[in-house]
Amino acid sequence: MTWETVIGLETHVQLSTKTKLFSRASTTFGKSPNTNVNLIDCGLPGVLPSVNKEAFYKAIRFGMAVGAQINQTSIFDRKNYFYADLPKGYQITQMDLPIVLGGTIDIEAGDGIKTVNITRAHLEEDAGKSIHDEFDGYSAIDLNRAGTPLLEIVSEPEISNAKEAVAYMKAMHQLVTYLDVSDGNMSEGSLRCDANVSIRKKGDLELGTRTEIKNINSFKFIEKAINYEIKRQIKVLENGDTVTQETRLYDSSKDETRPMRSKEFANDYRYFPEPDLLPVVISDAEMQEIKDNFPELPKGKEARYKEDFGLSSYDAQIIAASKSMADFFEASAENTKNFSLLANWLIGEISAFLNKDIIEIHESKLSPENIAMLINRIDDQTISGKIGKSIFEEMYKSGSSPDEIIKSQGLEQISDDGAIEEIINTVIQENPSQVEAYLGGKDKLFGFFVGQVMKLTQGKANPQSVNTILKEKLK
Amino acid sequence: MLDCKSISSSELIHETFRLAKQYQDLNCFVTMNEDRGIKKAHSIDQADSSHSQLSGIPMAQKDLFCTEGLRTTCSSKILSNFIPPYTATAVQKLEEAGSIIVGKTNMDEFAMGSSNETSYFGNVHNPWRKGYVPGGSSGGSAAAVAAGIVSAATGTDTGGSIRQPAAHCGITGLKPTYGRVSRWGMIAFASSLDQAGPLARTAEDCAILLNAMSGHDLKDTTSLDVETPDFLASINQPVKGLKIGIIKEFDLGDLDSEVQARFEESKNLYEKLGAEFIEISLPNISASVPTYYSIAPAECSSNLSRFDGVRFGHRADNTEDLNDLYIKSRSEGFGEEVKRRILIGTYALSAGYYDAYYKKAQQVRRLIKNDFEEAFNSVDLMMTPTSPNTAFAFGSKGAQNPIELYLEDLFTISSNLAGLPAISIPHGMVHSLPSGLQLIGNFLQEDKILNAAHIFQQNSEFHLAKPSMEDF
Amino acid sequence: MDQETVRTICYLARLEIDKEKSEKIENDLETIIELIGGLQAIDTSEVEPLYSPLEKTALKHEDIEASDNQKEKFLKNAAASNKDYFLVPRVVE
Repeated sequence: MTWETVIGLETHVQLSTKTKLFSRASTTFGKSPNTNVNLIDCGLPGVLPSVNKEAFYKAIRFGMAVGAQINQTSIFDRKNYFYADLPKGYQITQMDLPIVLGGTIDIEAGDGIKTVNITRAHLEEDAGKSIHDEFDGYSAIDLNRAGTPLLEIVSEPEISNAKEAVAYMKAMHQLVTYLDVSDGNMSEGSLRCDANVSIRKKGDLELGTRTEIKNINSFKFIEKAINYEIKRQIKVLENGDTVTQETRLYDSSKDETRPMRSKEFANDYRYFPEPDLLPVVISDAEMQEIKDNFPELPKGKEARYKEDFGLSSYDAQIIAASKSMADFFEASAENTKNFSLLANWLIGEISAFLNKDIIEIHESKLSPENIAMLINRIDDQTISGKIGKSIFEEMYKSGSSPDEIIKSQGLEQISDDGAIEEIINTVIQENPSQVEAYLGGKDKLFGFFVGQVMKLTQGKANPQSVNTILKEKLK
Repeated sequence: MLDCKSISSSELIHETFRLAKQYQDLNCFVTMNEDRGIKKAHSIDQADSSHSQLSGIPMAQKDLFCTEGLRTTCSSKILSNFIPPYTATAVQKLEEAGSIIVGKTNMDEFAMGSSNETSYFGNVHNPWRKGYVPGGSSGGSAAAVAAGIVSAATGTDTGGSIRQPAAHCGITGLKPTYGRVSRWGMIAFASSLDQAGPLARTAEDCAILLNAMSGHDLKDTTSLDVETPDFLASINQPVKGLKIGIIKEFDLGDLDSEVQARFEESKNLYEKLGAEFIEISLPNISASVPTYYSIAPAECSSNLSRFDGVRFGHRADNTEDLNDLYIKSRSEGFGEEVKRRILIGTYALSAGYYDAYYKKAQQVRRLIKNDFEEAFNSVDLMMTPTSPNTAFAFGSKGAQNPIELYLEDLFTISSNLAGLPAISIPHGMVHSLPSGLQLIGNFLQEDKILNAAHIFQQNSEFHLAKPSMEDF
Repeated sequence: MDQETVRTICYLARLEIDKEKSEKIENDLETIIELIGGLQAIDTSEVEPLYSPLEKTALKHEDIEASDNQKEKFLKNAAASNKDYFLVPRVVE
């Protein structure tokens, strides 16, 4: 029996506005509980929502970038249900007339590029947070997050496996960070993924029963959760049972999905147009302003890096792929001329360190100015590339500048030929048998002499000068 | 009313509190504001600068408006301990104009009712006859003005809740155009219908109050971005040539003969003053009551979801889990009428019924609004009795069949649906109880109805009648 | 209005009705629904619903913070809270 997987993804993107969707409270992450809460967010009697225009502008930028239809007139609706972190007992969202309709995202699929269609994207307010296991017998409610603007993006069920799902989410992450729509931080909850997964016999046209896996908050878990769910559903169907339509949560510690506690009655959200908010209209002038101030996207940056900085296609593509890296590169490039060396370092050594800690470059202690300085010091031969690596390690740990480290550790490269010659003389004097063997034909011993020079100079001798002078001396 | 300098603010406020205590059997106040009220009166007297018309005027505020630091209950058990951290815009404007909050007035619970019989704090008495309803939902405010405790009060009107109690208590009450007065801080019953407005003895006083209360508020997206005119400016215009519409579909022949008689007499008075009466047709007007009772409960069922016992208000004891907390807190906290309307509203919005009830009602609503728009092409304003009946004895209506009470709103409800301004003025007695005359104006034309009401009052004395208060 | 429907809407509204009152409430609900059902007779084909009496559109405000931290006031109003959170009976997901 060959099975086929059908996946649709719902992405909740927390918009990077300074204030909430319907109130002027701050959206800054990590504040102490219940401090980013005003009358409106608390759902007090008598309060009324009012619309944050920037949230609309960000949603529209997203829509424009994916080639969607923008509904310049859109409507908010109430979604009615009870939950502790939903202060009003309803969420203000968009049902019938969302801000964005349609659009496409290209993803890297197994053998090339696959285009995934987007059904719609709409604005809605986020709920607060409940903490269930910190206070004995109680759940604690923090409303800081209540009212934060979300853009809910729904894909068509066109994704075929877990890897494509991850590729889609990565493409989404790149897009929203590039567009300055969201900081895309999955671990902080700025980017959340719900996966709708179903199985059907290969060739079947009808969709199988789907389950929804909610709130997966890392790329790694998306892949694991979906793969687990696919296997689970296949097993159910192969046993002759039917898949239950339900909502499930992914438990990363056990690497499995399990159903959320089922409710006695199915929820009827009783959507109706929000009477406290009238239809929201975006004028043609506002649309034009958004178009005029559209940020540069990865493809644009790639082309520009090749043109203006002479980077190779490969280097340009890698650096442009992440907004964090691209911004860093551009800032660094203002302070150095050796663009290709800069690119090499970013893609190579620096990325290796970042990947180990699973952070982006803007989250590290490195600054574009300091990295530019490092590149310059290597470029002008103040230090060797090898010393550069150990200096970099210190920079990564402490955030200090290369000059500070070079000074404090006395790491300037020795380029003075006279000084090097002296050291070479010492090496030659102290190793007569090796000299004899080398002159007798053991060419490989050249490396030994270089090593000895480096040992005596703590690696600071300029390698080219060492080579030249040593060759001369050992004739 | 408000202009005599013969008495200081402090003297006035003390007298007000004395009267409130003397007539406490009316049960028109839920919470008094004595300390702060007296303090404000003193500071006004000290200030000595040029005073505005409302300076030092004691006002009763309906307990639906949030008042910072002063308990606000909506006459419900579920908010019986709620102290708001902010003040409603309409109230704030009145305070900034110099008025003093005397106390929060009793009302039908969450503004749902037409007789002030659903309050957690007990019924309000009609000052004209003990044991009779003052009308609702702004019964406490109307009674306080009628009894002479205050000369000005605020109310809210969703289906007639300012006009109808004004009529039953023999005073003047105005519902402005929807969006004229900010709803920020006004605890929501039905968001697309609610409006705040003044109650006072005369149309002139209502104009002064409306001047102060109105205005665009950035915090209320449904408040109109229009200049507030001076509602006193054209209040004395003669009504000669004024075209007043009589609504064909309101067959007054079914009403009590005395109610009909008062209406005819008012018509005659206007005709004597030079106004012209024209019959107009509002073909869908008889659908007003069912339309209203689909929309208002639907919106209220959602608006009242925030009363869940979690962040404020009554919370039940000994609950097992979150759902239990919700169910018990809400069931203990809400009265029967509120529960009824929440259930109806929930039903009207639920899957499978939304199109037939809620959406259908909003479609009929548009038809009703269109009818008014069309009719206002041929008239300046319209006239109806405010209520089919006068005040009635406690418990004598609606106990068996809630619809009996709903039909009390027959004449007032349509202006809420269409968002139009309307005023009720006293025009005589029916079986020794006050009867009210309603004038409905076109969108944003409060000035026209205030003018017509004022001229009527310049040429009659009904608004001067006061209850004897001997039973209180 | 059958028992099942009443139970469902009561649950959706998080309300429970005393057994003694339930028959009256059900009758009341039926009466009111009959009243509002009368609208079915009116022809509204091609009529746009009127969700608000205003023919205007929403204000939009700038993305600038303008908010006081009133944490203590909010928590004080709650029936159960500690210095940081609102508290409810523990929820099991």
